[in-house]
Amino acid sequence: MIFHTALPKEAETLQSWNEKYESYLKKKQPGSPQAPGAGSLSRSLADNLQQLQAVLGANGDLVIRDFLLFGRHEAAIVFLSSLVNEEQIREHILKPLLPGPENSPGVPEDPDHLIHYIWAKAVQVTQGNTEQKLDHLPPAIVKGSLALLINGVTESLLLDIRQVDLRGVDQPQTEQVIRGPREGYVEKLENNLALLRYRLQSTDLRIEISPLGRRTQSRVALCYLDSIADPQLVAEAMRRISIIDTDGIIDAGYIEQFIEDQPLSPFPQVQNTERPDKTVAALMEGRVALLVDGSPFALIVPALFNQFFQTVDDYTERFIMGSLIRIIRLIALASSLFFPALYVSVISFNPELMPTDFAVAISGGRAGVPFPAVLEVLIMEVSMEVLREATIRLPQMIGGALSIVGVLVIGQAAVEAGLASPITVVIVALTTIGSFATPAYNAAIALRMLRFPLILLAGMFGLYGVMIGTIVIFNHLLFLESFGVPYMSPFIPGKWRDWKDTLVRVPLWWMRRRPSFLHTTDSTRLPEAVPGVYEDQILQQGGETDDPYPSDHNAAGRSRNR
Amino acid sequence: MTPTRQITTLRAAAVIGSTIIGVGILSFPRYMAAAGGSSAPLVAFSGVVISIVCFWPLAALCRRFPRESLFVFSRRLIGKPLSFIFALLILLIFVLLTGLTARQFGDVATTVLFKKTPIEATVFLMLLLCQLSSRRNIVKFTYIHFFYLPLIIAPVLLITLISMRNMDLLNLQPILVMPSAAFWKGAVKASFLFQSSFIIVLLVPLMQKPKQAVRAGILAIAVSGIIYLLIVVAAIGLFGSEETKLLIYPTLESARSAAVGEGFLERLDAIFIVLWVISVYTTLYSTYYLASCLLQHVFAFRDQRMSSTLILPLTFIVASLPANVFKTYTWSLALGLASMIILAVYLCLLWSMYLLRRPGKRGAA
Repeated sequence: MIFHTALPKEAETLQSWNEKYESYLKKKQPGSPQAPGAGSLSRSLADNLQQLQAVLGANGDLVIRDFLLFGRHEAAIVFLSSLVNEEQIREHILKPLLPGPENSPGVPEDPDHLIHYIWAKAVQVTQGNTEQKLDHLPPAIVKGSLALLINGVTESLLLDIRQVDLRGVDQPQTEQVIRGPREGYVEKLENNLALLRYRLQSTDLRIEISPLGRRTQSRVALCYLDSIADPQLVAEAMRRISIIDTDGIIDAGYIEQFIEDQPLSPFPQVQNTERPDKTVAALMEGRVALLVDGSPFALIVPALFNQFFQTVDDYTERFIMGSLIRIIRLIALASSLFFPALYVSVISFNPELMPTDFAVAISGGRAGVPFPAVLEVLIMEVSMEVLREATIRLPQMIGGALSIVGVLVIGQAAVEAGLASPITVVIVALTTIGSFATPAYNAAIALRMLRFPLILLAGMFGLYGVMIGTIVIFNHLLFLESFGVPYMSPFIPGKWRDWKDTLVRVPLWWMRRRPSFLHTTDSTRLPEAVPGVYEDQILQQGGETDDPYPSDHNAAGRSRNR
Repeated sequence: MTPTRQITTLRAAAVIGSTIIGVGILSFPRYMAAAGGSSAPLVAFSGVVISIVCFWPLAALCRRFPRESLFVFSRRLIGKPLSFIFALLILLIFVLLTGLTARQFGDVATTVLFKKTPIEATVFLMLLLCQLSSRRNIVKFTYIHFFYLPLIIAPVLLITLISMRNMDLLNLQPILVMPSAAFWKGAVKASFLFQSSFIIVLLVPLMQKPKQAVRAGILAIAVSGIIYLLIVVAAIGLFGSEETKLLIYPTLESARSAAVGEGFLERLDAIFIVLWVISVYTTLYSTYYLASCLLQHVFAFRDQRMSSTLILPLTFIVASLPANVFKTYTWSLALGLASMIILAVYLCLLWSMYLLRRPGKRGAA
């Protein structure tokens, strides 16, 4: 996206991941000079550009285009290619500014008057303003403005030409929400980055873009928030990407398989999402996101076990509902894993554990079934999996019909034919429904997969087998890591304050700090005083307050300091 | 990205606690009742005190060498050959202990709940599980203990408290009796349960605050001691001391008597046994891990992966040796006594050498 370079550093923007990793490490080394603080614009164009480069230079979509203004003055325009309409720049900015003096009569000789001339007579943009402070430029640029800088002029022109091309942005298919944004990523990387920038208008957002894959040269963008993300994490992510040497990257899923910690584990260690809002939330927690040109999925690392049963709804809805629904989801998750195994072991090894009436009812239902319970459950589970796979592959219209035929007709017929007992059908149905309630498809698959060994263990050793299997699964989860973070964080290793967002979701104003296991450089989410306002309101006044805007409670010198 | 010194004091305490609460929980009240009659809780309490007294010098010694495990610094203190012999002896103790505990577990599991599962399969599966998880490093080892601890404590506490509703306080009187020889014997037996707190020697070199090793151990022994005490009180209070002496697994019986509501949760003992598998697993995991680490130390392997595989057949053979339940219990009591003596001798030796050499040490440091 670089047209021309004024500074030698810019050539590095499209370097390989390897070099990026090294330069990032160098930059993050303690004692390395920070970007010099910028004040007013200097007269030298090169100086100004250098300053901008220092602030925004880490972004792959930054474009600095220098040219000769009216054939005479050195000038440059600075913008982020992911946020602007390049057609508009070409037609309405560059075209009127490039011609020599013979084609543009009345151009003032004095450079100080140039800005006003350009705004009044040359460019054809509706919104814009002048700016004398250099440190006001980067925030404007990341919001989608184009900055015009001229050599010898201590003023720059900011033109608002943001055009976020959101054509085709649709509701994500894999992550539906009741309440929350309805937009999902599309295939084009620029659009996806624009969706990110649209939600996260911060100069801290860093987007590193480089090609990956020897033949496809797919552009891969690594996003993080510079002032929050743990440099070690960013460096680790870059390191893992930098050692990928493959033919082609077709989708984000390809990268996932190269960078995950433990490929042999059934559990996903990288989260994928179709939702920009989820990505932004993850970035703000201090995680790192990866986007690939041509893929509507973002990868988020590190990904922990509890992320796979959280959804956007948990946060957009009020906290009591969010917590309740999250617990229900956890129950569904557990039932999708354990239900059939427990059923098999109880029915074939320890029927005395059931209440007597129930046991009689079950054995009555099973009277005509010729197989042992294990076999019966396995047959039903396998056919259910086949049905599920078939329904996904079929067009939606036929899929609906098939599921009705499969579930109702075959289920009923199987019971009548003596292939399965009614209670087995109930169990299998509950299990399947439970597995569909897990928001993350890949995590649901992992649990589905582990259900079968558990059923077999239950068939062989009864409850003891289920117990051993469960311990094996939990041990595996405890051993797993994702980018150096223990997979079961924050349960293990226990950090009580991170528990606020695990099984339950406490009010947003209680979660004052970012998750500690991410080792963020800036861990404060809310200022100290804010939660006190709400807590006072609730605890002392029983939720009723005379003052609808208790802003004065924010005053310093509060007696209760949490 | 693996920083050293990751084990917090609380996690160290959790490891010791979940190690202590184990297979013995089921038969514990019987021994106490046999030793002290209605003053069984007092016997158990004395046992806890004895084990704290035994634990103290061990942890205090480890605390002085915060960077090395016991077996490393003992080589410096008492010389290579002697420390090698003791390492071998302790290795033997823990192999035997692992095998016998696994066997006890198998006996209970097959007689009470998993009647159709052959005992060999039960024991072997459990040992295999320990072997597989022993291949991981010590930090992950503490994760496992820390994770399972609530699952161990909660059901025991819950069931004990529920069964206490039906308790008859008369059964617990007289609380104070004149300590006799049997009383002290019982107390020593009780302290055997706490011997696996020896696991602290592995933890100290990785603890964030090695100085708190003693505190962690005592916290763990106190918490698990309270749980054991509660179990004894519940069992004696429910059945009386004479009846308790006759029950093989009094804790299980008290769980059986604790029903909540009508027709709902009738069989609390089943849930109890199922969760009890976890507490046995954590206990066996600790002793198994310790045995693997010792074997690794003896053979000077790079890590304990290889030695954990070698331990598997050894422990399985030990577990298959006893002919019946009573042999198992006799043997494990004898083992408890032997290990107590060996550890005491070892500790006395180490402490005396440490005290003798201390001035030199200080100069070196």
